[in-house]
Parts: sequence; structure tokens; C-alpha cells
Amino acid sequence: MSTAGRSIVIPHLGRVEGHGGIFVKVVGGRVHEVNMDIFEGSRYYEALLKGKHFLDVQGVITRVCAICSAGHTVAALAALENALGIVSSPRVFKMRGLLTLGATIESHALHVFALALPDFLGFDSVIAMAEKYPREVAFALKLKQLGNRIQELIGGRAVHPVNTLVGGFGKLPRHRDLEEIRSALSAAQAPLAGFVDLAASIEVPDFAARPTVFVALRPHEDGYRFRGSTLCTSRGEEFPVAEYRDVVREFTVEHSHAKHAALASGETYMVGSLARLALWGDRLAGQARTAFQRLFPRGVEENVLTNTWAQLVELVHCLERGQQVCEELLGLPEEEREMQEYDVRAGRGVGAIEVPRGTLIHEYSFDDDGIIESANVITPTAQNLANTERDLRAAVERLLASDVGSESTLKLKLEMVARAYDPCISCSVHVTCL
Amino acid sequence: MAKSKPKVGIFGLTGCAGDQLQILNCEDQLIPLANEMDIVDWVMASSRNDHTCRLDIAFVEGVVATERDLETLKEVRARAKTLVALGTCAVWGGLPAMHNEIPRDVLQREVYDIGGTHFLDTVEALPATHFVPFELTLPGCPIERHEFLRVAHALLAGAMPEFHMLPVCWECKARENLCRVVHFKEVCAGAMTRGGCGARCPSHAVACAGCRGPLEEPNYDANITMFADRGISWLEIARKMSQFSAPVWIKQGLEKEVRHEHRR
Repeated sequence: MSTAGRSIVIPHLGRVEGHGGIFVKVVGGRVHEVNMDIFEGSRYYEALLKGKHFLDVQGVITRVCAICSAGHTVAALAALENALGIVSSPRVFKMRGLLTLGATIESHALHVFALALPDFLGFDSVIAMAEKYPREVAFALKLKQLGNRIQELIGGRAVHPVNTLVGGFGKLPRHRDLEEIRSALSAAQAPLAGFVDLAASIEVPDFAARPTVFVALRPHEDGYRFRGSTLCTSRGEEFPVAEYRDVVREFTVEHSHAKHAALASGETYMVGSLARLALWGDRLAGQARTAFQRLFPRGVEENVLTNTWAQLVELVHCLERGQQVCEELLGLPEEEREMQEYDVRAGRGVGAIEVPRGTLIHEYSFDDDGIIESANVITPTAQNLANTERDLRAAVERLLASDVGSESTLKLKLEMVARAYDPCISCSVHVTCL
Repeated sequence: MAKSKPKVGIFGLTGCAGDQLQILNCEDQLIPLANEMDIVDWVMASSRNDHTCRLDIAFVEGVVATERDLETLKEVRARAKTLVALGTCAVWGGLPAMHNEIPRDVLQREVYDIGGTHFLDTVEALPATHFVPFELTLPGCPIERHEFLRVAHALLAGAMPEFHMLPVCWECKARENLCRVVHFKEVCAGAMTRGGCGARCPSHAVACAGCRGPLEEPNYDANITMFADRGISWLEIARKMSQFSAPVWIKQGLEKEVRHEHRR
């Protein structure tokens, strides 16, 4: 290649949530610059929350992002309740867990089948894929619908829940509705196992593989869980989540409306399904364990393109775990409503949860009247952006060194890397005040 | 050859993508619907799109918060025969517009912690309907799926869908919920807000936040008097009325009356 500069520009990344692009500059055969451009407009939700009452936080902050609305809801309520000293009743804790599982089923089904799988099978979109794989696509949409049904039952709406309140829930699900959800979850298990077989037959390329630090929350109990209060890294470090500001450093970069993040050491890192499997995959049980062994026969490797398969393993887990939680809720007496009493007082609280795309952290402080003084949200996508750029750089270097084929093939491969992170750009541009 | 299918584009400006997600959430009805139209431009769902062709129907969600949003919107308007605004952000401004009285550079300082930011081309958030005419508006935060399907099927049949303009309050009464104002002394926007959600929030024992935007000519005065007469404080009333209703108030020049937070 000549010494002249060459740019690879993907102006608008398709099949991701929100507006972003990729810009790569190559000079003299060497990669000069790799940027994930995020041009989604800023909405300043955290600044807009100042002066509002803590009771209004959930209804506002859930609107950061539709796909992640349940995750933002559960994280915000956990942070606010920590500040108020409220300990969730077993039922409220389990119901929020079920809401999270529903959201994860919906989000993973959407990403694995509609956004990422078309890449692996050679289609432009899930609608194009439906012509050749009608049965598979129909099941995928059904699975997504099941995730939404769970969110509707627990949260009152599939997008932006309304039933979720500080201290509890406005309305509790009827037992017959929980029984219906439990059997729908059980019925989805066999067809999903078919997808695991399909995925196991597809070879995942390794052109973006690169040493990576994984970060995830330690599950709050023994088992594979999405909530916890300790941040762990794949290098064996542990931090209480309340001290996240000492661990996660956020910074602004010129080409992005979303902040980037790195560990205090300056290293970038990955959060998300692959990170969770790397850290806690050995806690999986039942069919999820089988799927994990099937799709990751050599364990989790540092290749982000396998994140889609990690999401598939988590889908299997969510179906099984969802049935257990339904069972536990069915063991409690049927009631109309559950709300805990509490006193309004000044406080500061941090809440964290593993959402489909990784660790989500919310923090709020409010005064004696409950008026918000500061709010901070750290989203998985913002944490992943810097790492995405490094993976893209590795991919470009490797692909240029080998005979990659046409420019459009190269672009598609770079898009696959960005999509593998399942970026949620609405979430990443919300944004935070540190 | 059969009659060609109408060309459809789906676009998101700045927002949470919730209305596009609600389209994807139509799940089992999505594929048959997609078969009746030719979706040529939908970045969220496809990696191959035609960004220049004429469109028979275009759906737009979100607020205009950047210069780029405005360009996109104007381009889509120029390309589309029928333009539909999806969601409360596109129709009224929604939550991103609830504090347009605060200068954006103040927010930028608070959020990005830097003065004189150059790379943020963010302007104050305004609804898409502020900039270009629309043939149809469908509010909701997010939109209701059944309403979207009605719109899509009507437009495919060459008709304009009609929606009843009844308040959430009417749907709430039909469900025999206990009134959040009368029984619980809460600020409930149900009497001022366009129905269609089946009174979702009050049916979960939560007051209506007004997320679907106002009815035509809601009687704000009577509602506020009703809240105050129940002993609800002015501060509480103002707080609740400063969210989804705020962009509406601002449009009607009533902003000063509902503001209560400290000036920044």
C-alpha cells in the first residue's frame, strides 16, 4: 500500500440502538486513528433531575433508553432505597429479579437473533433472514415477546415500566399469570436448545481477538445472578460498588457525545455477557451449563465476537432461572399490593445491576425534603466504548495485513465488532456528572 | 407484476428509541406487516438502507437536539409523501424538553464537567413537529402498539386513521379504578391527557404522569384548582406539572406559572 492516507468510514452503524458511526484512518499501511463516533444528541437527564423529588426519578431516568428501561428502573430504585435505608421485602426483591430476567430475555433475543445473527448467516436484516429461516425467526420473535410479557406483568408496560415504585409495587401479579409465564418459559427451552445447536455449528472468526480485562458484579448469592454489590475484575480485584468512583474513571473525548471509561490503571475493559461468563460462568447450572460447555468448549476466550454466543447462554439461563423465581413467588400468598413504609430523610445511595450490556451503576443524593441534589449514571456502553475502539484497531490491523477482500467486506467485519458489544447508544449519551 | 408495495422509512432523532422498539415489539404482527410494505430505510433494523429514495410513508421519533437531527428531519420531510410523528418526544418534546429554560451550556458544564465545549453541537430539545409539518401525529411514551398497527394498516389501505380524543380519565373510570385525586389526594394528569393507553398507570395504582401529551384544549385551570382544593401543595402540583406537561406549558406561554426549581 502507498504512503498516502486512507479512510474507512462507516457513517451510520446499522442494527444497533441509537446513532453512531466508525471512522478509521490508515496512513502508510499503519492504522493511525480509530474512532467510534457517537452523534446521538445529549439529553442531560442527570442534570435535569436536579431539583426534582426522588419519587420522580424512576419515571424520568427510565426514559434514558427504551431497551434498557427495566434495568435503569431497578438500578435507580436500588440506589434510592439504599439512600433511604429501605431493605426490599423478599417478594419485591424477587419481582425485580423477574423483571430483570424478562428484560434480559427481550434484549438478548433482539440482539442475538435480529441484530447480530444476520451477520453470521449473511443477511442484511432479520426481515431478509425471515425468508430463508421463517421458523427460526418466528421463534426468536416469540421469545422476545415472552420477555416483554414478563415486563408487562411485573412492570406494567414492556417499555418504561410504571408499576415499579420506591418501596415496592403498585400492583402484584396474580398467581394464574405467574403460572402462565412459568409454563411459557418452560415451553421455550427446547426450541432454544435448537438454536444452541445452530450456533455451535457456526465458526466465530477471531480477527478482533485481543487481551481484555473483564468486569462484572459478584452475584449477591451463590449461583449465576444479575445483582450484587461488589465489582470484580478478571485480574482478581474486588471493590465495593459504592466506591465505583475510585475504580471507574470516565473521561470525555472529542468525537463522541458519550463519555469513555477506563480503570484507574488506565486500562480499558469490557462489561457484558462475555465478561459475566468469564467471571461467573462456572456457577451456571442445568441446561445453561450444557450450553456454556457446548458454545465455549475451551472456556471464555478474549474475543468479543463470541459475546453473541455468551448472550445465547444467558438466554438459556434466564429461561431456567425465570421458572425458579416464578415458583418462589407462587409460594407467597396472593395479594393486591406491596409497599414498604419509610421516612423521607437526606441520603446518598449507589445501586448497581448487571443489565444485558453489562454493569449499570446509578447514584443519587437528595436533601431532607427528598429533593435531588446530584445524580450519576454509568452505563455499560459508555464503559465499553474505549475497549471497542481498541478491538476495532486490532481488527483493522489484522484485516489489512491479510487479504481481506473488498472495502465493503472490511466495513462489514468492523461493523460486526461494534455490534458484538450490543452497544446501546441512547444509554451512553444521557450523560453523567463526575 | 403486482402493484408495487409502498416504500417506508423509519427514523429516530435524539431519544430513547422506544417508539422504534415498540414497532419491533409488534413481534408476531411485524413480519406480515413488513411483507405488505417495502421498508427501504430503517437503520435500527437493517445494515442496508436507501437514504435518498422517495418514501410513501415515513415515521419519525425523537426530539431535535442537534443540527444533524434537524438536517435528517428536513431530508425525511422532503422525501416523504406521508410523514408520521411517533411518540411524545416527536409530537410535544417530551422529557428531554422539560427544562428548555436552562441554557444548554449550564447543563453541559454539569454533565460533561467542561467549559466551552466545542464538540457538542447540542441545541435545546424541541419536538420534530416544531420544525416541519406532519400529516399525522401519534403520541405516547412510548407509543401503544395497537395504535401503531392501526396507523400502519390504515395508511397501507390509503386511509387516514382516526383516533378518539378521550382523556385517560375516561378510560380510568371505565375500568372502575379508585380515583388517584379523590381517594389518594395525588396530582393525576388523567383528565388533561389523551387516552389510548387504557389508563395504564392508574390501573397500577399510580397517578397519570401525562406521558401521552395533552388532549385538545385541556382545562388546566380547573384541574389545578381541583388539586389545590384537595389540599395538595402548590409545590407538589408544580413538580408534577413540570415533566411531560412542561413543553406544552412553554408552548402556551404559561411557563412562569409552573416553574418552581431554583434558577441556575
